[in-house]
Amino acid sequence: MKTRLPVNFLIGAVLVALVLGAAALSLVWTPHDFAQMNIKAKFGPASSTYWLGTDQLGRDVVSQLMAAARNSMTVALAAVLIGGSIGTALGLLASAIGGWVEDLVMRIADIGFAFPALLFAIMLAAVFGPSLTNAVLAISFINIPVFARVARASANQVWTREYVAAAQAAGLNRAVISWDHILPNIGAAIIVQATIEFAVAILAEAALSYLGLGAQPPAPSWGRMLSEAQTLMYLAPQLAIYPGLCIVAAVLGFGLLGDGLRDITDPRLSRER
Amino acid sequence: MIELQDFSVSFKSGTALRQASLAIRPGDRTGIVGESGSGKTMLAMSLMGMAPAAADLSGKLVLDGRDMTGADDRGWEALRARKVAMIFQEPMTALNPLRRVGDTVMDPLRLHLGLSKAEARARALALFEEVGIPSPVERLRQFPHELSGGQRQRVVIALALACDPELLIADEPTTALDANVALRIIDLLVRLAEERQMALLFISHDLAAVARATRDIVVMYGGDIVERGPTAEVLTTPRHPYTQGLLGARPNPVAEPRGADGKRPRLPTIPGSVPTLQDLPSGCRFSGRCPVELPVCAGTRPGSTLISATRLANCHALKQEVSA
Amino acid sequence: MGYFLFRRTLGFVLTLFAVSVVVFAVMNVLPGDPALTILGLDATEDALAALREQLGLNDPLLTRYVHWVWNALHGDFGISHSFGIPVAGLIGERLPMTISLAVSGMIFTVILALVMGIGAAANHRKPGDWGMMFISQLGIAIPAFWLSMLLVLLFAVKLRWLPPGGFAGWDDPVAAMRSLILPTVALALVQSSVLARVTRSSALEVMRQDFVRTARATGFSRRRILWRHVLPNALVPIVTIVGMQFAALVTGTIVIENVFYLPGLGRLIFQSISNRDLPTVQALVMLFAAIVVTANFIVDLLYVVIDPRLKARA
Repeated sequence: MKTRLPVNFLIGAVLVALVLGAAALSLVWTPHDFAQMNIKAKFGPASSTYWLGTDQLGRDVVSQLMAAARNSMTVALAAVLIGGSIGTALGLLASAIGGWVEDLVMRIADIGFAFPALLFAIMLAAVFGPSLTNAVLAISFINIPVFARVARASANQVWTREYVAAAQAAGLNRAVISWDHILPNIGAAIIVQATIEFAVAILAEAALSYLGLGAQPPAPSWGRMLSEAQTLMYLAPQLAIYPGLCIVAAVLGFGLLGDGLRDITDPRLSRER
Repeated sequence: MIELQDFSVSFKSGTALRQASLAIRPGDRTGIVGESGSGKTMLAMSLMGMAPAAADLSGKLVLDGRDMTGADDRGWEALRARKVAMIFQEPMTALNPLRRVGDTVMDPLRLHLGLSKAEARARALALFEEVGIPSPVERLRQFPHELSGGQRQRVVIALALACDPELLIADEPTTALDANVALRIIDLLVRLAEERQMALLFISHDLAAVARATRDIVVMYGGDIVERGPTAEVLTTPRHPYTQGLLGARPNPVAEPRGADGKRPRLPTIPGSVPTLQDLPSGCRFSGRCPVELPVCAGTRPGSTLISATRLANCHALKQEVSA
Repeated sequence: MGYFLFRRTLGFVLTLFAVSVVVFAVMNVLPGDPALTILGLDATEDALAALREQLGLNDPLLTRYVHWVWNALHGDFGISHSFGIPVAGLIGERLPMTISLAVSGMIFTVILALVMGIGAAANHRKPGDWGMMFISQLGIAIPAFWLSMLLVLLFAVKLRWLPPGGFAGWDDPVAAMRSLILPTVALALVQSSVLARVTRSSALEVMRQDFVRTARATGFSRRRILWRHVLPNALVPIVTIVGMQFAALVTGTIVIENVFYLPGLGRLIFQSISNRDLPTVQALVMLFAAIVVTANFIVDLLYVVIDPRLKARA
């Protein structure tokens, strides 16, 4: 049977492929060295050498955007992996043990929701000084309660299934059942959430870097490029455009991909959204 | 007062109501019976101007001397509540849970009759009394979840009666209620119809309820009207094979004594199930399931056969029998 | 009802307590010497010791925590190092800016979202609906700070209708309002995209319910039903999101104030970070977290006001 893929999934997949492709390509090739300054060519217009022109220090904009894509993807991946695995583990634990442990974990998750990534990053920056690591930690931290909730809710459903009861009857302990039976069955929900959180993480990294709490110079980052461009808005407004478009493309891509995946894996949840 | 002439409702996938003709006069109490998918609800919704937007209406639907077949929302909104009103199956969900029931009943009074708040409240109070809601003053201020199912259905009836409609359509009004409460609601509807000289269109698949509520009956199958006549006659001596099957399928534990083995005899059922809209046969809709089917049935739609001065049925076999 | 209030209030107080522990822990327990952070690496040992004494860093952690909370409850957040005045005074000075921005942003967000969401639901599966879904999808993906920059480019740099940033004070109310227009729009456009989608799906859900059909059957027009019946019933999920969004909006002001150089709490936080003014940062982070927690608490209470069925159960 041939099923039609949802439109949002297809558009998302294309955008994600573009962004990931650019990030991967930047590992081996960029048109120029992204950090290579060329003061004589500063604020250069788009040309055959500099496809989107150059910035205030004569650096190639395209190369910076590509390198920044890599940075953005790395941060988002790290944050979602760290936050996602800790959160999922906590959710599985809460669901497996139940009772007061479950209540406690969920209450702690609620408290986690009181801290937007920005506040957490601000605290870390105040204590340790701003750095990209702190930004990753802060974004990871806010992902923990998100994944804990999703994992627990889905796991609680799986625990009621018959094959889980059968495994329990066979004398398997709850840790083994969680790993062998529960985790694979909540995988789809976790992956959907991870895709959506990936988009959130990209947005968060951009904001933190824009505010100076993330990537530090000369590390390339869309957010930091925008904060530099802001001071030059009268001189070179075009520099304030491209990085923003990249952020929108990446966030939109992962967001649509996540929605599309949800439509595919659980049509009930998303019919009218 | 209300007249349907060759009125049809069709969709891309098929015809949900086929050339129905029906006249309802003041004081009539007419029942419509049939299984789900028979078109009885489509007929009721059409009389309210609430057929689905995708539906294609044809024929004539005359209300108040006007053909409403092509009427728009605005045209219908002016007639609803004042000419035709409707009560629904599920009293639990038919009322806005966030509005006091008194306010809900006052809404159409203020909209259509332009009553002031105080006038509308007095009217609502009178309506609550008329439909037999105890301590109506307090009830006006309550929310739907604070009332029992029967009381909620009485509120829904009061709401439908608010602007003195000439026709009240009741779509399975008792299905969701306890048997006991259902009987009282039926008696209430009959009393209201008689006192107000209001026509009642009572839609149900519960034959006992229809027998109690109505004087005339219309039997529908697959979007066609297949038999009609006085309720008592049709239910005791059904002539259309579908009506006969429907009555046979009716569980009647009193009439059917237990056999020697202590078990009740197996209920007769109509073989097969109601086909979906796109699979309906083009001739007699009942062909394919009919026990007395003739070769002509599948391809040619049967016309009406007059059985007596007040009774009609649409069946090829019956026509042969009567003319023979 | 009393029990419900009691339980919710207790939960609220406990959450605030837990939040204060987290803030205190991150700012004080993690490795690092606040005195060194504040004075820098070239500080003399004597100066460090004096500052540690002044900050009470030599006391046990628990004592310091209790002191901090006790004083904070009495409106004393300590002395700002960089400004040399009480933190509470600093906050009081900057608070009106942030509150005006957050409140105007919220009002604009809710109005825009309700109009867009209900409008889309009313035009379900028509171009208006698709257009709204497309715009809101974009709105969710646009970073607020970049949207701000685009607005500045268009309305300040190109058209010169509005100031690009800064705030001259409340003495000239017209100028003050003009300075707030772009920040408010930037805050609200992004937030209302999320809210509009929630409003739309919630409204569509309600529109399928029986009482809407009942209202149609009593001769009410679709438009009247939308505002009288659909919107109130759609409100419960909307209010949940509004609560969460108020939190996002308040932290959003931190970003927006920095984009537009508005002298509010968000600017203050960043000045304090670069001045290594730890007591101020700690107080501000706690304040923002408390606002988030309080917003969620108020939402919990609002449910009961909106839905009489909950009152019975509560």
